[in-house]
Amino acid sequence: MTRRNFFTVLEILFWPVVGFLSVGLLAEFASLQPDMKAFILVGVVSMGALQVCQLDVSYALLYDVWSKSLKHGFIAPVGIRHMLLGSLIVGMIRGAVVFFILMGASLWLFDFNFMIAGPGPICLFIFGLFLNAAVVGMLVCILVLLFGNRAEVAAWSLVSLMLLVCGIYYPVTILPGWVIATAKLIPLTYFLEYIRRFYGFEPSFSLVLAKGYVMVFAYLLLEILLMKAALGRAKRKGILLKLSE
Amino acid sequence: MKGVRKTFVSGWLYRIKKQALRGVDLSVPEGVLWGILGPNGAGKTTLLSILVNLLKPEEGLVRVLGDDIRARSMAILQRINFSSGHANFLWSLSVRENLEYFAMLYGLSGTRRKRKIEELLDLFELREFAGVRFDELSTGTKQKLSLAKSLVNEPVLLFLDEPTVGLDPDVARRVRESIQRIHREKGVTILMSTHNMKEAEVLCEKIAFLKEGIIKAFGSPRDLKEELRLGDAITIFFQGSISTPSLEHLQGVYDFQVSNSSCRILVDDHRKRLPQILDFFMSKKVLITDLRIREADLEEVFIALAR
Repeated sequence: MTRRNFFTVLEILFWPVVGFLSVGLLAEFASLQPDMKAFILVGVVSMGALQVCQLDVSYALLYDVWSKSLKHGFIAPVGIRHMLLGSLIVGMIRGAVVFFILMGASLWLFDFNFMIAGPGPICLFIFGLFLNAAVVGMLVCILVLLFGNRAEVAAWSLVSLMLLVCGIYYPVTILPGWVIATAKLIPLTYFLEYIRRFYGFEPSFSLVLAKGYVMVFAYLLLEILLMKAALGRAKRKGILLKLSE
Repeated sequence: MKGVRKTFVSGWLYRIKKQALRGVDLSVPEGVLWGILGPNGAGKTTLLSILVNLLKPEEGLVRVLGDDIRARSMAILQRINFSSGHANFLWSLSVRENLEYFAMLYGLSGTRRKRKIEELLDLFELREFAGVRFDELSTGTKQKLSLAKSLVNEPVLLFLDEPTVGLDPDVARRVRESIQRIHREKGVTILMSTHNMKEAEVLCEKIAFLKEGIIKAFGSPRDLKEELRLGDAITIFFQGSISTPSLEHLQGVYDFQVSNSSCRILVDDHRKRLPQILDFFMSKKVLITDLRIREADLEEVFIALAR
């Protein structure tokens, strides 16, 4: 039990902390201006928390797929919505722990005070971040139901794609037009734009918070429908059984 | 279930089609222990998977506990359970944690959950493995855990998919005893699939023989033997000579072969027919020197039907 908890803690914190330290030290080495340092630290802290929460949502199915025990979960009288909601709550708790640890470390190691934005905007930002994580996590689950084991790579790659597109380490405005168009379809872009305004960066788009939330809820709604369809297809094609063999 | 059909499609543009079930009708009454017997690929797992809503059939009506499984799946799943051979559960959780996890999924909480888990640990002799991770368990213990998990919600209907597959004979015997105990003591209706004839013969009151997605025969092991005229073989060794045509007229005789000193007679039930056969031999004034009886077993039924 203790050994497992140790590895769980390591799994949650390892990559976010490694990413955070690498980027923070790079910023120190490059002697970045405080506002530039704030820009990339906001990005790396958000990315760490987002990834932890997203993986937890994806694990709603992936752990069962890896253990080949998927059918037992689906035979139990719980819907996939229950599994996803439960995983999201766990993911939000873990993501919040990572976020606040990295927030404290930003102040302690790199002299950047995240709390300048104030508790209200930070809460709105984190909640949006976690809903975005839920969108990605659910998409992974949908892909697994559609394509089986081949789709599990999406659990790690989708967030990495976001890292390129959504302006984690640089403003989206420096990207080519078609990439900006893609970034505009991802709620994370708007949530990052929203929080960075409190550290001196004016948003490139209008009504960023509203757009982010409308988009994230629209995607969640769409994914609930897609999940239902994917589950129906999995039952028709026997994917649930294949994933349990 | 009535008229249930299931076809799996695969390959490029779904050109490869495999009909797993081709119009299955089966009605299982309350309180029985019935078996679905058939060779590999007959459609046994497909049939059970449809009954627990893991698979959707293209056609047919599936009612479980009186309700349409697709329309009222949550209410039905609360009252049924499933266990399969080659059991797999969350590998990083211990036996107790896996049982707790599933107990929670079935809505058990607090002391009720604790009590149920303790009861199942004792019932399946799992107490000494309670803290052992699933991936460190032997195949037999994994199978016991699977059966324990299947009782976590006190189901009224239990589906067992090849519950002793891959187990050594001693463990398989103990698993079979557990199944009998569940059925006898808890009154659970059980529908199990197997390709083990002995298992079906020992456990099941009635058997549906499934082959290529169709139920080819149905009945008790004895009914099936009679239906296929796979009777008991009585071999009589004698001195003297007998007139073979008169054997044909004896009641219950399916077939016979006579050589110089022995006669092998296939009858529907040796207990019923032996006296008249002995009378027949004595009436012919032959000396019986030896007599052997071999009861037909389900294996012969299986071979005859699978042919």
